[in-house]
Amino acid sequence: MNCWNWFRSRRIRLRERRHRERELDREIEAHLELEAQEQEESGLRPDEARFAARRAFGNKAIVREDARAVWTAVWLERFARDVKYAARSLRKTPGFAVVAVLTLALGIGANTAIFSAINALMLQPLPFTAAEQLVRIYSIQKGMFNTFANPDGPSVLDVRDFAQRSRSFQKMVAYDTWPKNVSFGESAFQPEQMSVGLVPAAYFEILDIRPIIGRLFSEDENREGKNYVAAISAQLWRNRLDGDPSVLGRKIRINGEPYTIVAVMPDVIPPWVEPGRHSEIWTPFPYSPDMWSESGRGERGYAVLARLQPGVSLEHAQADLSVIAAALAAEHPVDQGVGVAVKRLADSRVGALRPMLYVLMGAVSLILLIACVNLANLLLARNSARQRELAVRAALGAGRGGLVRQLLVETLFLSLIGGAVGFACADVGLRVLARVHPENLPQLGSVGIDWRVLTFSLLVSLFTSLLFGLAPAFMGTRLNLVDALKQGGRSGTPGRSSQRVRSLLVITEMAMCLMLLVGASLLVRSLVRLQGQNLGIRQDHLLRGRIYLPPVRYSDPGVRTRFCDGFAARVRALPGVIEATVTTVYPPNNGWTQMLVIPGDPVTRIQDIPSAEFGVVDQHFLRTLGIPLIRGRDFAESDGATSPPVALISEEFKRRYFAKEDPIGRKIHVGPPRSLPVAAEENVTDDVDVEIIGVIGDFKNAGLALAPQPQITVLYSQNPLVNGGFKDIVIRTASEPHLVESETRSQLRALDSDLPLAEVQTIDELIERQVGGQRFTTVLLASFAAAGLALAVVGIYGVVSFLVAQRKQEMAVRMALGASRINVLWLVLKQALEMAAFGAVIGLFGAWAMQRLTSGLLYGISPVDPATFMGAVSFLLAIAAIASAIPAARVSLIDPAGSLRQD
Amino acid sequence: MTPKNSPSRTELLQGTLDMLILRTLLFGPAHGHQIARHIQRTTEDVLQVEHGSLYPALHRMERKGWLIAKWEMAKERNRELKYYRLTPAGKKQLVREESRWRQVAAAVGTVMAPVRGER
Repeated sequence: MNCWNWFRSRRIRLRERRHRERELDREIEAHLELEAQEQEESGLRPDEARFAARRAFGNKAIVREDARAVWTAVWLERFARDVKYAARSLRKTPGFAVVAVLTLALGIGANTAIFSAINALMLQPLPFTAAEQLVRIYSIQKGMFNTFANPDGPSVLDVRDFAQRSRSFQKMVAYDTWPKNVSFGESAFQPEQMSVGLVPAAYFEILDIRPIIGRLFSEDENREGKNYVAAISAQLWRNRLDGDPSVLGRKIRINGEPYTIVAVMPDVIPPWVEPGRHSEIWTPFPYSPDMWSESGRGERGYAVLARLQPGVSLEHAQADLSVIAAALAAEHPVDQGVGVAVKRLADSRVGALRPMLYVLMGAVSLILLIACVNLANLLLARNSARQRELAVRAALGAGRGGLVRQLLVETLFLSLIGGAVGFACADVGLRVLARVHPENLPQLGSVGIDWRVLTFSLLVSLFTSLLFGLAPAFMGTRLNLVDALKQGGRSGTPGRSSQRVRSLLVITEMAMCLMLLVGASLLVRSLVRLQGQNLGIRQDHLLRGRIYLPPVRYSDPGVRTRFCDGFAARVRALPGVIEATVTTVYPPNNGWTQMLVIPGDPVTRIQDIPSAEFGVVDQHFLRTLGIPLIRGRDFAESDGATSPPVALISEEFKRRYFAKEDPIGRKIHVGPPRSLPVAAEENVTDDVDVEIIGVIGDFKNAGLALAPQPQITVLYSQNPLVNGGFKDIVIRTASEPHLVESETRSQLRALDSDLPLAEVQTIDELIERQVGGQRFTTVLLASFAAAGLALAVVGIYGVVSFLVAQRKQEMAVRMALGASRINVLWLVLKQALEMAAFGAVIGLFGAWAMQRLTSGLLYGISPVDPATFMGAVSFLLAIAAIASAIPAARVSLIDPAGSLRQD
Repeated sequence: MTPKNSPSRTELLQGTLDMLILRTLLFGPAHGHQIARHIQRTTEDVLQVEHGSLYPALHRMERKGWLIAKWEMAKERNRELKYYRLTPAGKKQLVREESRWRQVAAAVGTVMAPVRGER
C-alpha cells in the first residue's frame, strides 16, 4: 500500500474514533443525569441519587472499553500490538531470531528449489494429447532391463512385426537421429553439424503434432530417393530463416544435398524424446530396400514410439508384445534371447538420472526435517526460558488467551519472515541449478518456483513452529504462578519431560545429519575415483573435433582415405601442434563393438561369439594419444592400401583371447562367423582379415565406470569396408589446446568449404562432461550435508547452552562442594556427546538402509563402505563436541559464591 | 491487557439482552435510559441489568444494522438525547431471537418437568 494513503486513512480513522468517544461520553452523562433525576424524584438526597445512578450503571471504564471494542475491529488493533511486541521481543534476542529465520529459510528454500525441479522434470504432464497412451518400446537381453541405464532399441523388422501382430497399439514408429552437416541458404556455405531426426510422418501423428504451416511427409517420401524433404522447428524458422512466411519450398543443404522445406513444426517436442541430441530438423526415414530383407533383423538400436489403443493398459501391451517377441525369437535365430519392454514415455524423461533425483529428494527432505527439529528445539528452549516472564505477565492479569495469542503471533511472524527468506533462497537456488545443470538434463535450464511446493514447505514449517511454539505456551500458562515465580532461575534441574523432548530432538537431528554426511562422502569419494582414474593415455593437451564426409561427394573409400590423410598432415604442419591423428578410437568411449572369429576357437552359439571394441585409425594413433606399445610393432607408413592388413590389440584383448599363446603374427577375422546367422550390418566386414602386429596398453573404452574392454584397432587405409564417413581428429598440442582450434577449422575449410568441424573439445572437457551428472549430484548433496551439519551444530549448541543456563545453580553447588572445573565441564560435555553418539548410531542404521538408493550412483566404492561410515561418525562426534564445548566452557567460568548468592 | 467483564456473565446475557432491547424498541424509538427503565419495569426487577452494559450492546446492534440512532431534542426534558429505533433487519432479528428463545425455553421446560412431578 502507498505509504501516504495508509498514513492518511489512519488519521481519518483516529479522528472518527475520537468523535465517537465524545458521543458515547455524552450519552453516558445524559443517562446518569436522567437516572439521578429519577432517583431524586423518588425521594433520595441529590448526592445519594447520583451515587445510586452510578451504581446502577456499573463500571464506566469497562463500558467505554467494550463499546470501543464494538467500533474498531479490536482484534486487529490487538494483532498490530502483538506484532509490534513480537518484533520487539525478537529484536531483543537477535541471535535466536537470526538462527530461527535462517533455519526456516534453508529448509524451505532447499526443498522448494529441489522439489520444483523434480516436479518439472518428472511429474509434470507431458505436452501431448492423451499422453498416458504414449509409450516407448525397447529391446532387452534376457531380462536385463532393470534400469534405464542401458536400454537398446529393436530393429526395424521387429517393429514392423510388433505393429502387424499386436492389437494393443494405434500406431507404432521406429525413428532415429543422426548428426549431419547442415547449411542454410544456397549461396553462403557455412555448414554446421546439427542433429537431424529421421522420422516418418507417423512420428508426428503419434505425438499428435500438426505443422504450423505446410504438411507432414507422405508415405512415398519414406522411400530412398524421394526423401529430400524436411520439416523444421518453429524456433529454427524464426532464428535462422527470419521467420520467412514463404519458407515452404526453400531449400537447405543436409550433407551436401538439397532438401525442400515442406513444414514448420511447433516447438513442443521436449529434447529427451529424441535419442542423442535435440533435433530441430526432421527428414523422412528412408528405408533402404535391404532394410526390409531378413538380414536386417539384427540391426537394432532404433528408438520406437507408440500410442496405445484407448483403454489398453501398459501391462496388457507388455504381455501382448512379450508373446510376439517370444514367437519372433523362435522364428529367427538372431532374435534368440531378445525380449521386449514397454515403458511409458513420461517415465523415460529423466532416464538414467532417476536414482540421482531420488537421492536429492531424500536429502532435501532430511534437510527440511532437520530444520523443523531445529526450529522446535529453538522454540522450546526460548519459551521455557521465558516461563518466568510469562508467569509474571499472567500474575499481572494477562489471560491465558492473551498469552497464547502473543506467542502465536510471535511464531507466525517468525515463520513468515523465514518463509520470505526461504522463497528468496529457492529462487537463487533454482538460478544456480539452471546455471550448473548437467548436459543430459537440459530441462533444468528453465525451471521456475513451484508454488504448491513452496506452500507445502511453508505449511510444514508453520505446523512445526505452531506445535512447538505453542506447546510451552499452554504448559506455561497452566503452570502454577507462585511456583514459577518462586523458582525463577533457582530450580535445581529443568523439567524432566521438556528436557527429554529436547534430547530426543537433538538425537533425531544427529541421526539425519549422519545420513547426509555418509551419502555426501560416498558420492565425493566416488567422484574422485571416477575422475582421478588413469585413462590409459596422456590425457592433457588433447583436442578433439568431429568430421563427417557425406557419401554424395565422398562415396569412394580411397577418396575418404586421401582426404583424412591430407587433413591430418595439414594439421600436423600447424605451429603449436605436436601430433595429430584421424581416428574413431579414443577414451573414454569407443562405442563400436565388433564380433570376431579367432581361428582355432570354433563357436556354435551366437552368445559365445567373441567380440571386442573396434575402430579404425591412421598411423599416428599411438603417438598422438600416448598409448604405450607393449610388444611387437606400431603401425608404419609402409602399411599401405596394398600391403596386408594389420591390427593392434590391447592387453585385455590378449588376456581374453590369447591367454597362453603369443598373438603376434596371428590372423583374426573381423565379423561374425559365416556359419551362424547374425545381423546384416556385420556382413560388410566379410572380407576383413587382419594380422596382429602389436599389443598396446589398455585404455578406457567402455565409459569411465567400466574397466577397459578388449580393443582391436586397424588402419582405415587398409580396410575400405570399415572406412566410413564419420571420423574424428585428435590433436596433441604444445600449449593450450583450444589455441589451434580456429587454424584447424580453416585447414578443413581449405580442403572442403562444405564440411564443418563439430563438437570441438579437449579430452579433459569430454571427461568433465561425462561426470557432469555425477558432479552435479555430488555438489548438491555435499552442500545439503554442509547445511544439515550447520543446522545440527546450531541445534546442539542451543541445547547445551540451555542446559548450562538451567544447571548453573547445580554446578555452582557442585563446585562449592569441591568439584573441579574440569569435572563440571565434563559433566555437561558428556551429556552432549551421549546425545550425539546415540543419534549417530541411529543414523548409521539409516545410512545402511538407504544403500539401495545410493548404490546406483556410486563408482568403485561400496554403499556401506565401513571407512566412510566410521569417518562420518567421528566427524559428527567431533563437530558435536566442539559445538557443545563452547557453551559448556561457560560452566567452568561460574563464580560459585556469586552464583549462589544471586536470585 | 484489556480489562474484561467476567466472560460467563456477558455471554450468558448477551443474546437475551439483545432480544430484550429489540423487544423494547418494537413500541417505538427510545433513548438508553428509557430502554433500561423499561426492561427493569417489564421484568419486574427480576433481571438486574447493569445500565452500563446496555451501551456496548446498543452500539454493536447499531453496527450490525438492526438499529439506527439519532440525536434528538427530548420534548419534556429540554435536552438532546440519542434515540434508537428498530430497522427492518432488526425486526427480523427479533423474530429469529424469539423463536430461538421459545425453543430453548421449551427444551428446558421438558427437562425440568419430571423433577417437579417426582416431588
